[in-house]
Amino acid sequence: MSLTSLVPLIGIADVVIGLSLGSRLFLIAVGLSLIFGVLGVLNFAHGGFYMLGAYVTLAVVSNVVDNFWVAAVVGALAVGVVGAAIEFSAIRRLYDRVDSDLDQLIVTFGFVLVIHETVRFVWGSGSYSIDPPDVFNFSVTLGGSTFNAYRLVVIGLAVGVLVALWLFITRTYFGSLVRGTSSDREMAAMLGVDVPRLYTGVFFLGSVLAGLGGALSAPLQSTSPALGDQVIIDAFIVVVIGGLGSMSGAFVGAMLIGMMQSLGPQFISAGSIAIPFLAMVIVLLIRPEGLFGGIGE
Amino acid sequence: MSATDTGGRVSRFGSAVAEGWTRERLGLLGAVALVLVAFAPPFQVYLFTDFLVVALFALGFNLLYGYTGLLSFGHGLFYAGGAYGIAIVLRDLGPVIADVVGAGISPLVTFVLGGVVGLALVVALAVPVGWLSVRLEEIYFALITLAFGMLGYSLIIQDPAGLTNGTDGVIVLLGTVDLGGFSLRIGGRRIYYAISAVTVVAAVYGVWRVVNSPFGTVCKAIRESPDRAAALGIDVSHHRWMTFIVSAAVVGIAGVLRAGLASVASPGLTHWSTSAIAVIATVIGGATYFYGPIVGAFIFLYIRWAISRFPALEAYWELFFGALLIAVVLFFKQGAVGGLLLLRDRLFGDGDADDAGSGGGGARDDGGQATAATDDGAESGDDNARADRGDNS
Amino acid sequence: MVTEDGDTENKYKRADAAETSSERRAPVGRRRFLQAAGAGTAVALAGCSGGGGDGGPVTLGAAYILSGFASLYGEEAERGIEFAVSEINDNGGIDGRDVEVLVRDTEASGDTAIQQIRSLVQEDNVDGLFGLDSSGVAQAVAPQISQLQMPFMITHAATPFVTSPQGEHEDSVGNEYVFRDSNSLAQDVYGAARTAQELDATEWATIGPDYAFGYETWDYFQAYCDGLGVEAEFTAEQFPALATSDYTPFISSILDADPDAVLTPLWGADLTTFIGQAESAGWFDQIDHTLFSVGMGTDLPSDGSPLPEGEYASTRYDPFVPDTEANNSFREAYYEEYGSLPTYNAEGAYRALHLYKEAIESAGSTEPDALVDEFTGMEHSGPVGEYQFTETNQATVSSIWGTVTYDEEWESNVLDPVNRYEAGPDVLSDALGDSDLPTGI
Repeated sequence: MSLTSLVPLIGIADVVIGLSLGSRLFLIAVGLSLIFGVLGVLNFAHGGFYMLGAYVTLAVVSNVVDNFWVAAVVGALAVGVVGAAIEFSAIRRLYDRVDSDLDQLIVTFGFVLVIHETVRFVWGSGSYSIDPPDVFNFSVTLGGSTFNAYRLVVIGLAVGVLVALWLFITRTYFGSLVRGTSSDREMAAMLGVDVPRLYTGVFFLGSVLAGLGGALSAPLQSTSPALGDQVIIDAFIVVVIGGLGSMSGAFVGAMLIGMMQSLGPQFISAGSIAIPFLAMVIVLLIRPEGLFGGIGE
Repeated sequence: MSATDTGGRVSRFGSAVAEGWTRERLGLLGAVALVLVAFAPPFQVYLFTDFLVVALFALGFNLLYGYTGLLSFGHGLFYAGGAYGIAIVLRDLGPVIADVVGAGISPLVTFVLGGVVGLALVVALAVPVGWLSVRLEEIYFALITLAFGMLGYSLIIQDPAGLTNGTDGVIVLLGTVDLGGFSLRIGGRRIYYAISAVTVVAAVYGVWRVVNSPFGTVCKAIRESPDRAAALGIDVSHHRWMTFIVSAAVVGIAGVLRAGLASVASPGLTHWSTSAIAVIATVIGGATYFYGPIVGAFIFLYIRWAISRFPALEAYWELFFGALLIAVVLFFKQGAVGGLLLLRDRLFGDGDADDAGSGGGGARDDGGQATAATDDGAESGDDNARADRGDNS
Repeated sequence: MVTEDGDTENKYKRADAAETSSERRAPVGRRRFLQAAGAGTAVALAGCSGGGGDGGPVTLGAAYILSGFASLYGEEAERGIEFAVSEINDNGGIDGRDVEVLVRDTEASGDTAIQQIRSLVQEDNVDGLFGLDSSGVAQAVAPQISQLQMPFMITHAATPFVTSPQGEHEDSVGNEYVFRDSNSLAQDVYGAARTAQELDATEWATIGPDYAFGYETWDYFQAYCDGLGVEAEFTAEQFPALATSDYTPFISSILDADPDAVLTPLWGADLTTFIGQAESAGWFDQIDHTLFSVGMGTDLPSDGSPLPEGEYASTRYDPFVPDTEANNSFREAYYEEYGSLPTYNAEGAYRALHLYKEAIESAGSTEPDALVDEFTGMEHSGPVGEYQFTETNQATVSSIWGTVTYDEEWESNVLDPVNRYEAGPDVLSDALGDSDLPTGI
């Protein structure tokens, strides 16, 4: 099949779907990347945080307040609190160890199991889904293909988060502390930065982003206890390709993987789900710092 | 069955270096225990075989983690490699081999050949994968091995070559050896246990020899300080590569045994969640000890089994291991073996505890706390057996 | 927790409805677990006395999916088991002995299933086995059953290869110990092809799970269409992994191919997820007919109407047809007990217990080989109707396809009108034409 005969198969809907998948990946990956960039911690439990965000949102919207946006904010903040608590109670103990990186990875992996089972205990092992908020819950037909308008909202919010984060890191005092600490922790501490508090703050922020990703994605996917394990691997691919610690890299990487997930089924061929992993291996070998720069870039 | 019995069994080789007749006595005790297991009820035989296989899997993993400090989240690739190697040979070459050597003996020949092919496949995979992976360290090494493992998973699932039968995996039927009235079912619980026990014991001994060879000493030196080792003229990445290959081969043997035990080679074997089992077992048992992964595997399987006796709890066994994993890393990095040694010190003082009841090394004891590492091959027993991580946990 | 609530203005989709009912059922499930725990102890004691007609309980082992994306199936089977156990024990038991069932979770994994079954046989000394929800699991388990030499009555898993004698086809794993009281994929898909024959649709596509069951469904459908002379072209196929949380890209890909009709063997939570996402992508407006081959399994117990009305679905058992005393009284009593219509998984498990009762009473023993002899060629009738086990140990039950319709009286989806296609060995063998696929019967 020649390329020209394939191109008409790609509808606008496929592109929108790909970008919306990329947006949810960005929200989880950017938090993962931020935490790694500043704390040097690769948080295996970040997928669990994403899942938890979706569950809390579903629980709030059905039991407490019938407003998706309020529920999403509550979900994101709740996950932030859980994340901060984990950093404060467990991960913090490991910063001074010789092989702290691996111990942190193992501890956060422990939390993968704990979060997964806790979610299963509280919400059962079935799956939940909800409709998008009413205002945006309508179909858009463009160029003969149909998609839900809420997808555009998710894409818009992801871009908004990217811009807000960039402004926050580059233009605010707290942002300058974050940048300073990420490049030289000892120096920052000597200059009077309260490094432990800053770390907890960054972990909180990263967790909030993961929770927000889960909350916003809840109307676009089914939420089940398996969700965290699925999404963390995609997030790892994204941050490796974009560069661990890079926010713009996370965005580009996420959109790349999102488009691949959307268009993959169109060009189904043996080995297609292997491509992201192959890309991950190649980037790690050739440019382990990722295709894009460091924090704040 | 208590951890103490197993301690006796697994300590055979730890005691093998001890001076005097204790060595023979412990070796004999271990051997007798292994033989006795064969006469346990069938399910217990099965569970113990499962333990032996997981123990070998974790031991192979820890050769890399405990002895060179490289944490792999992709050793499931080699576990699956061994399993698929033998499964595909059994499926595709069984009839051919029966034509060549005769139907009676062919299941055994096919099984052995399958095992060899599985192992060869794993080594053939590990040579390039290891060569590429050891260029990276720490988190990046964990990530690239994870990527390789998942790459293998994707390829097995999508099955572009038409060999792996996708998500459903390849069914393993071991067959029956039939020689003039003498018939032996290879997959029979006790026969398979015997095969597994002999293989695992031999492999553990082999690993133990490697660890205590000059090669192993170099590995430990690299782990303590790669820079210093390099300054001494050691080719660090070459040594890591070689360790990677040996480690993968050991895991491959475990994979071969796993295929026969589970009766199926399934893609899940190379999923990162399977690789994680080796991490869990090793960390819980104590990565700093040679026997840590073995004791960890014992804890993993038998606690899981014990939990499964209570159906209300069964669904949540992962919660238990998650919490245990966190607790061990945070508070007691020496893991279960470290704990047992500490306990023995408390109970028996610092004397020559030559009984088999101590779980870890068996022979001499230099105190359970993993403090200053006497990194010295001339010392006996535990010193050799320990990987002596010098962390300040 | 998501609850059905008038104020939420129908905001939550079917998944929630299904979940809500599963949440409500949870206490029942937990109680069963505790009973099972108690039973485990009792069995251990009975085991010491040597077992066999000594007045102790008859113990059967069951393996179903109790967690993950298809846990609803296991919960339904547990209801059928609970219902049958109390019915049998209240009426004199099996030869005067009570019956107990130990239910274990396969986690939809062959590896886990084999371990659980081995544990049931070797640790709990059960007298017989039944269950299984997944084709892939059944395929892996069947060879083990012949090694354990214990009868196994499959009540749901549908792959034809477990009732196709080893050697008939390269994937065949059938053996003398494995039976199936529910219909196989070969029988079910035959009905799909017969349904297709009646429809004004030429271009067909499929979206199914990425394992044997998904592929076999599509293979058999194409073979039957060919054999029955259905004018059909097969234009698109998608096989997403099990437990996919977002089907949108696959849905979009099928919609781009624009077929007239789609046959989907998605099941469990995957199906509910798919339907919700297909609806918002405009699937049911664009595609004329969708045929759900496993849909009714979890449709009946859920409160809403998961399957869209007017589409086609199959079931392995219909609570209204046949209109017999056995079926009607089963349906009424079951509805009384659980407040929902019996699903095919509940009925299959229920019937397995009655099959064991009949076999044990007729053989006068619980010896595995005696039970196998009894099951072989056995004629039996239950709510599903009358049937017989064929040479390959497959029950000659009908293929049942119908139109999804919401029934106010039962507050549930039903199949109306519904067609029952006889699907015996000769029918299937003719319909498969030149294909080398086994009939599994």
